[in-house]
Amino acid sequence: MKQKIGVYICHCGGNISDYVDVDKVKDVLAKEDGVYVSKTTIFACADSNQKEMVADIKANELDAVVVASCSPKLHQITFQAVTERAGLNKYNYVHANIREQVSWPHSDNKIGATEKAIQIVRSSVAKVRLSQAIEPIEIDTQQAVLVLGAGIAGMKAAISLAKMGTQVYLAEREHFIGGRIAHWDVLCGTEETGKELVTRLYTDVIANKNITLYTGAEMVSSGGSKGNFNVQLKLKPRYVADVCDDKENIKKAIEVCPVEVPDEFNFGITKRKAIYHNFPSEYPQAAVINMDDCTRCGECEKVCDKIDLSQKEETVEVKVGSVLVATGFDSYTPGEGEFGYQAIDNVITLSQYKRLLAISNGELKWNGKKIENVAYIYCVGSRQVEGENKYCSRYCCTATINTALRSNDKFKNLNHFHFTRGMRTYGKQEVFYHEASKQGHVFFQSYGDDPTKVENKNGKTIVKINDILTNRKELEVEADLVVLVTGMVPRAHNTIGDILKIPKGRDKFYNEIHMKLRPVETVIDGVTIAGACQGPKNIVESINSALSASIKSYSFVSSDKLSVEPIVAKIDENLCQYCDACTTACPFDAISKVKSGSKDVALINHTVCKGCGMCLPVCPTNAIQLITFSDDEVENMINVLANEL
Amino acid sequence: MPNIEKKSFDALVVGGGIAGVESAINIANNGLKVLLVEKDLTIGGKMIMLSKVFPTLDCSACITTPKISEVDRHPNVTIMTNTEVLHIDKQDKHYFKAQIKEKARYVDVSNCTGCQLCEDACPVVVPDQYQYGMVGRKAAYIPFNIASPRVASIDIENCSLCGACEKACPTQCIDFTQEDKEYEIVVKSVVIATGFNLFDPLKIPRYSYGSAKNVITSMEMERHLAPTRPYNHVLRPGDGKMPDNIAYVLCTGSRDMTVGNPICSQICCMYSIKQAQLLMGALPMADVTIYYINIRSFGKGFEEFYEQAKGMGINFVKGKIGQIDELENGDLKVRYEDINQGKLVESKHDLVVLSVGAMANEDPKTMFKADTWKQDEFAFAQQKDLFYTPSLSSIDGVFLAGTTSGPMDIPDTILSSGAASMEAIRYIKQAKVEI
Ligand SMILES: Cc1cc2nc3c(=O)[nH]c(=O)nc-3n(C[C@H](O)[C@H](O)[C@H](O)COP(=O)(O)OP(=O)(O)OC[C@H]3O[C@@H](n4cnc5c(N)ncnc54)[C@H](O)[C@@H]3O)c2cc1C
Ligand code: SF4
Repeated sequence: MKQKIGVYICHCGGNISDYVDVDKVKDVLAKEDGVYVSKTTIFACADSNQKEMVADIKANELDAVVVASCSPKLHQITFQAVTERAGLNKYNYVHANIREQVSWPHSDNKIGATEKAIQIVRSSVAKVRLSQAIEPIEIDTQQAVLVLGAGIAGMKAAISLAKMGTQVYLAEREHFIGGRIAHWDVLCGTEETGKELVTRLYTDVIANKNITLYTGAEMVSSGGSKGNFNVQLKLKPRYVADVCDDKENIKKAIEVCPVEVPDEFNFGITKRKAIYHNFPSEYPQAAVINMDDCTRCGECEKVCDKIDLSQKEETVEVKVGSVLVATGFDSYTPGEGEFGYQAIDNVITLSQYKRLLAISNGELKWNGKKIENVAYIYCVGSRQVEGENKYCSRYCCTATINTALRSNDKFKNLNHFHFTRGMRTYGKQEVFYHEASKQGHVFFQSYGDDPTKVENKNGKTIVKINDILTNRKELEVEADLVVLVTGMVPRAHNTIGDILKIPKGRDKFYNEIHMKLRPVETVIDGVTIAGACQGPKNIVESINSALSASIKSYSFVSSDKLSVEPIVAKIDENLCQYCDACTTACPFDAISKVKSGSKDVALINHTVCKGCGMCLPVCPTNAIQLITFSDDEVENMINVLANEL
Repeated sequence: MPNIEKKSFDALVVGGGIAGVESAINIANNGLKVLLVEKDLTIGGKMIMLSKVFPTLDCSACITTPKISEVDRHPNVTIMTNTEVLHIDKQDKHYFKAQIKEKARYVDVSNCTGCQLCEDACPVVVPDQYQYGMVGRKAAYIPFNIASPRVASIDIENCSLCGACEKACPTQCIDFTQEDKEYEIVVKSVVIATGFNLFDPLKIPRYSYGSAKNVITSMEMERHLAPTRPYNHVLRPGDGKMPDNIAYVLCTGSRDMTVGNPICSQICCMYSIKQAQLLMGALPMADVTIYYINIRSFGKGFEEFYEQAKGMGINFVKGKIGQIDELENGDLKVRYEDINQGKLVESKHDLVVLSVGAMANEDPKTMFKADTWKQDEFAFAQQKDLFYTPSLSSIDGVFLAGTTSGPMDIPDTILSSGAASMEAIRYIKQAKVEI
């Protein structure tokens, strides 16, 4: 039983004290059993106050501490550290939330709020009275990181980790690396093409001995947790010998392949064979056979002996201390008929348009017809009024302007009509918007609830808008090509997120712990997120987040030991009659059956247990206690709260 | 001030805003020694002065302080505030010599307890720069409640040398004999995190800032709304009246060739929407109108935040303000082109907030040898290899964190600082020269 408890009640500079009478809380708490010091403070978290608290705890020889302030998500760690600096064990600290739980929701009732605050702080005192000193659990760590996705973010993260001396496994689901950027021509704001940027990154990846690159690799399962993940990767075969320097025969093999399917690399505007390259000199520079397309006719084998249709799928296991997820995004696929998509033949997506520009020479044509008027329809799949995607995809305004500007380098005489929802060329990107306006591009803006329309009138494609910029005039443009500026959406194929249990936000992208304080970490310890899988980003933003994520992942693997929270479940072997209810309830597979003397009992692996408490209520003999949340502690809290009612 | 006996560090971080603080923590967490130099009396930059932050509406002070206290007590970080970097010279492949000047505070910092008795005793009152002149402060003063370090300082220019503070100080730490001190330090790498400057609205006389009392900047509004606000209420400065019809003028000094700044500041739309939402809470009866060209709510959760603002009844008017004139009662006549109606319109408001843009802070230019430090056309730091490593400056071994390289909000600043520190760590680890 703690007898010299210190209670500190925070004003939060008015956030709390405007609605809670903090002095009254302090006075009531001062009389509570075991409370030795009860004080208020303007900003408990301010550095100067932390120093005062440390001095106060030492001077009064306190044995436990409660701070009543904001959410424990924000500052529990801060005050645990204060307690430790004052020479106490950090588990002799309990955090009381009187801001999110009291002052903010009850700002209309000061008396009631004060009463509630008193109850919450008293119950925290009831808990801290029984608190024990405990030590963190130390585990051995794997000094390696698995990076999932070899787009620019994944490659950048892998390179920077490898340069720090970390062993990196870089796993790409596709057979070729580079992600979305590999498709693009000159990137906005430089003279570099997407392919050149990818080449630079790939060269660094290959040159670094610390990086093992797997392509065609998909994560199929993962066990363990921070410090010790065991991940199974399924490797799809290429059906072409790994080291294939026989370029001529491969070329012949592609020629003789009789199968033709839409080429994903060009977003279906061209065809490829079942055996194919992404584009000349893609990475790795090795062709691949897609078995879903292949008829196994064997024609290719006849002309090229590097082809090996007998290759089998393999599984590799990697052991790592951290997983960095950089799996990127999908482009929104418009619904049939959405702005004429798939209903009118000259309506295509921005991705298709960009590839069309890249592969066309001489004249720009679509379906054999020369293109002069290009209409861009913005925010397709973003900022939806009806649909689910409420967010802005951030990259697309600038990407479209840049594409339009650059298209004139190659094809003169193009007229550009931009049907926007308000241009968002934020920051320095504004100059491209400016430039486009100067060059005579025409900009319209539609109302949120009155979108632009694409119609087919007598074989002509007409784009219609009620334009804000001209006082709601109805304007029409006859377009030779309509480009739908499709936004970013989370990956539809998302086994990784499910396997690693990464939570998603409202927008269905992976969610960070805290947008400002911990933007690349997830609530799954040891799993970090980078690039557009966390939310729409452009290249610079993706690279910045990749490097930020790699610094966090590095912190999990930089030493061979890691300490983890000792807040875990504990089995009382005398009471346990192994019924397996807890084993089934545990979402982390932390519980197994072992022999103890003559009987079977449950054993909890403390390095895997997350202290979630799922096993506690299912135990029929009440043999499980959660450290720091024992029945006694929780009942004590409830008693305080209930006795007042 | 920390006595820097050990005069060599792995990294010198210039600027103690959130970018500098985040970078220092990241680098120091890897066992490297960091010197963090801030020219102001306290670290925390602009973020520590903000009210709440978009789009989560977290209290800004509350999310800044954990970082501040982490950096402050980090065993690998030495912090020097009130200190200027005079110059940084690249010596060899892998190290720099820097000359820094620690300005006298006239207070022995190691003994100051922050009791504020000197402040009570001081008879001199001058406008408080941290509250944008809305209230006064003494010549002996602590910048603000959550300043770090939270110690006193004597504003010698305004001090009457009456000696009252000396008598009041219980620890005898006031010392008028203190002098500026210069140090030479040696570092392996440099992170520039000197942040941005706010656009000076006096450059647009049409907006009457400075002459019309009830035209304020967005940063002043942040102070009205912050938990450590000076009046505990939103009051208009002219006459202390509670405003009930407030206007926001977006793109003040941004996207405006008449002031020579073509770029978008990328934060002002969002912070204005945030302030408007907070005002709806603080002044439930007030009308808030936001005059905009385009609303740029592009980040995670931003568009939803914008929609939420519309739902709360905040009035969004597409149109650029041409002229603001003060009326006799202190109200303001605002003239603008209403794009929706396609005509020139006049409206009246009792408080106008100018959403001032983010401009480059050109300080670093003076620190490096001429022509080695390169800027982009907007005077922000040049990013040498934008897509490959955005944090690379024009000088090998010097990295860019936060708004040094262009306007950005806090989430982007944190990511950029992560990138800069990762690059700095890599650079330091590769440095072969032992210094
Ligand atoms: C009114 C307003 C409201 C805002 N609201 C939000 C919001 O709600 N959410 C959000 O995400 N963002 C918001 N922002 C943006 C946010 O302020 C910036 O993203 C953030 O402050 C950038 O941090 P920084 O460290 O790069 O720069 P700064 O905060 O400017 O910090 C730079 C630091 O460097 C110091 N320094 C400068 N020069 C030198 C030198 N020569 N030597 C040494 N030190 C130097 C400065 O004193 C300062 O401490 C807002 C901005 C404004 C103006
Ligand atoms: S963010 Fe908004 S207010 Fe700021 S410059 Fe850009 S468009 Fe104008």
